[in-house]
Amino acid sequence: MSGESTPESASREQTQVEIYRKVVTIRFAELRIRSHVEKEGFGGFWHPGIGQEGLQAGAIAAMRPDDYLYYAHRGLGYAYAKGMDLVELFSDLLGRATGSTRGKGGGTVHFADAEKHVLGQGGTLGSNFVMGAGTAVSSQLLGDDRVTVVFFGDGASGRGTWHEAALQASVWKLPVVWICENNGWALSARFEDQSPTEHVADRAPAYGMPGVIVDGQDAMAVLDATSEAVERARRGEGPTLIEAKTLRIRGHYEGDRQPYRADPVLGDEIPNDPVHRLGEGIPDEVRRTIDAEARQLVEEAFDAALAAPKADTSVIFEDVWA
Amino acid sequence: MSADVTVPSGRVIGYGRAINEALAEEMRRDDRVWMMGQDIGRMGGVFGVTRGLQDEFGSMRVRDTAINETFIVGGAAGAALAGTIPVVELQFADFLFTAADEIFHKLAKWRYMHGGQFTMPVVVRLPTGVVGGAGAEHSQSLETIAMHVPGLKVAVPASPADAKGLLKSAIRDPNPVLFFEHKGLYRVKGPVSDSPEDLVPFGVARVARQGTSMTVVATGLMVDRVLEAAEQLAPRGIELEVIDPRTLVPLDIDTVVGSVEKTHRLMIVHEASRTAGFGAEIAAQVQERAFFALDAPVWRVCGTDTPLPQDPDLEQACIPSTDEIVTAALALAAI
Ligand SMILES: Cc1ncc(C[n+]2csc(CCOP(=O)(O)OP(=O)(O)O)c2C)c(N)n1
Repeated sequence: MSGESTPESASREQTQVEIYRKVVTIRFAELRIRSHVEKEGFGGFWHPGIGQEGLQAGAIAAMRPDDYLYYAHRGLGYAYAKGMDLVELFSDLLGRATGSTRGKGGGTVHFADAEKHVLGQGGTLGSNFVMGAGTAVSSQLLGDDRVTVVFFGDGASGRGTWHEAALQASVWKLPVVWICENNGWALSARFEDQSPTEHVADRAPAYGMPGVIVDGQDAMAVLDATSEAVERARRGEGPTLIEAKTLRIRGHYEGDRQPYRADPVLGDEIPNDPVHRLGEGIPDEVRRTIDAEARQLVEEAFDAALAAPKADTSVIFEDVWA
Repeated sequence: MSADVTVPSGRVIGYGRAINEALAEEMRRDDRVWMMGQDIGRMGGVFGVTRGLQDEFGSMRVRDTAINETFIVGGAAGAALAGTIPVVELQFADFLFTAADEIFHKLAKWRYMHGGQFTMPVVVRLPTGVVGGAGAEHSQSLETIAMHVPGLKVAVPASPADAKGLLKSAIRDPNPVLFFEHKGLYRVKGPVSDSPEDLVPFGVARVARQGTSMTVVATGLMVDRVLEAAEQLAPRGIELEVIDPRTLVPLDIDTVVGSVEKTHRLMIVHEASRTAGFGAEIAAQVQERAFFALDAPVWRVCGTDTPLPQDPDLEQACIPSTDEIVTAALALAAI
C-alpha cells in the first residue's frame, strides 16, 4: 500500500463515509424501533431490517435523487437512504399525524415521498415488480432518463408478477433494476425448499437480462453492482436482476419466536456485519463522530415522533379521491 | 316517441367507433396519454376498437403487450405514478380477476394508503357482457364488484355519445376508472357530437325517456331493451321513465330518487346476476331516501344466478329480454 490517494480513490472513500453514515443511522433506528416494540407493544407488525442495512443503503447510493424507488417490507433503510426524513418515517410507524402517510400507515408501513421519488409500497408481495416496470415505461415515454429500482425478497421472487414484469421489461428494454434481498427465509419457508435453482439470479438469463450475485453484507460491492445495472438501464439496454446474499437476523416480524427455525437463531449477532465492514478503512475518530451524531439524530427524531399527535379520525375519509 | 333528452345531435356513428375517436382525440390533445393491451396495436383490438391508432401514434404510445394482465394493469399503475396517463385494455372484462390485485389494491388504494401523495390517472377499458356465445369466463357483467371496492370509478356507457363523452372524461380524471364497454353495443349506431371538447360528466344520470307510471333504472345493453319495452307498453297506458345512471361510481341517486317521487314505482334492470348486484344497492338507497314515496316494492329484473352457458341461445336466456321486462312492468304497475 503506497498510502497515496488519487482523486478517484478519494471520492470513493468519501462515498464510503457517506454510506457508512446512512448505514449507522439506519442501524440505530432499527435498534430504537426494536426497543420500542419490546417495551411498549406496537400497533402492527414490524419487520426488522437489521443486518440488511448495508445492501439497502449501498444500492440506493447508486441511484440519482430523481430515480424512482419501490422498497420492500424489511426495515426502513431504503426510505431513509433515499432521503426521507426520520421523523416522518418514525411517525408513520407510530401512526402519528406527522407521518408521510398522515397517520394511515402505522405498523406495517407504506412510507412514501413523492418529492424524493419514493413511490411507496403495497401490502401484497410482488406487486412492485409490475408497477416498477410500468414506472419505467413512463420514463421511456417521457425521455426523462430516470431509472426505477425495485427491492424484493427471495420469497416474493416466487410471484407470477415477476415473470410478467421481467418478460415485458426485457422485451421493451425498460430502465428498471430489480434487487433481491435473499436472506434465505420467507417467513417460515427456507429458500432452498422453495427454489429449484440455487440462486434467484439464475432465472435472469431466461428473460434475456443479466443476473448478478453480490455479497449483500458488503455495501460497497452492492453499490458497484447496482451502479453498473443503473447505468446499463439509463443507456437504454434494459433491466438487470441483482441478488444480494444476506441473512435474516431476527424473526419475520419483531416478536416472532421462530419455532420453525431449527438452525441457531441469530439473535443479535450479525455475521459479516455491514456496519463493521464499512467502518474498516474509515479513521476511528471520523467513525466515532459519525456514530455519535447518528445516535443523537435517531433519538431526537424518535422523541419528536412520539410527541406528535395521533392522526385525527377525519383522515379516514380523506384521500379516497383526488 | 322516445324522448332522448340529453344525447346531442351530430354524426351517426357506432359505439366502437366513438370509443376509437375518444382515444385518438385524447392522445392528440395530451402527449402523456398512451395505451397498452393485447393485440390493440397491429391488429387494432379483438373488437376492432383501437384500429388505426398505432399507425397514427406509433408503437411506443400504442403498445402490444404479452399475455400478462398483471403487468397491463400493474404497469399502468406504476406508470401513472411517474407522470403519464395510461389507458389499458383487458381483452374481456372477466380478466379483472386475472389482474385483481392490481385493480382492487393498486389502482384503488395506492393514493389512500400513501396519504394522498399520488394520483392514479388510469383507465382500464373492459369489454363486458353477453355476446354471441363467448362462454362463462368471457361474458360476465362485473361492474358491481368494481363498485364494492372503494377507490374505483365505474362507467357503463349505453350509447355511442356516452361511450365517447364518458371515455374522454375518464381519461381526464385523476382517479382510476373501470370503463365497461358492452360487447353487444360496439356496432350499435347513434348521434355523437363533433366537438372534441364535448365531455359527458361522471355522476350525472341520463333520463333516456320520460314517463309517469314507473321509474326503470338500466345500464348498458339493457337500456335499449327497456326503451323497446317502453314503446310496447305506452299504447297500454304504461309510461316508463327510463334512467341510465351512466356511471355507477359516482352514482347519481338523486335523479333516481327524484323520479321515484314522481312515479312512485321503481324497477331495476341489469344483465349482471341478481344476487348482490347493483340493483340491490339502488333498491336499498331508494328505500332509505324515499320509502314513503313508494307505492310498491322495488322490483329487479336481472341476469340469472348462474355461470353463463356458451350456447348463444342459452346465454340470451340468462339475461333479461324485452318480453321479460314488459311482463315485469305490467305486474309492477298492477300492484
Ligand atoms: C401476495 C402476498 N402473499 C403473502 C404475503 C404475506 N407475507 C408477507 S411477508 C412474507 C414473507 C416474505 O418473504 P421474502 O419475500 O423472502 O422477504 P423477507 O420477509 O425474507 O424479507 C409473507 C409470506 C403478502 N404480504 N403478500
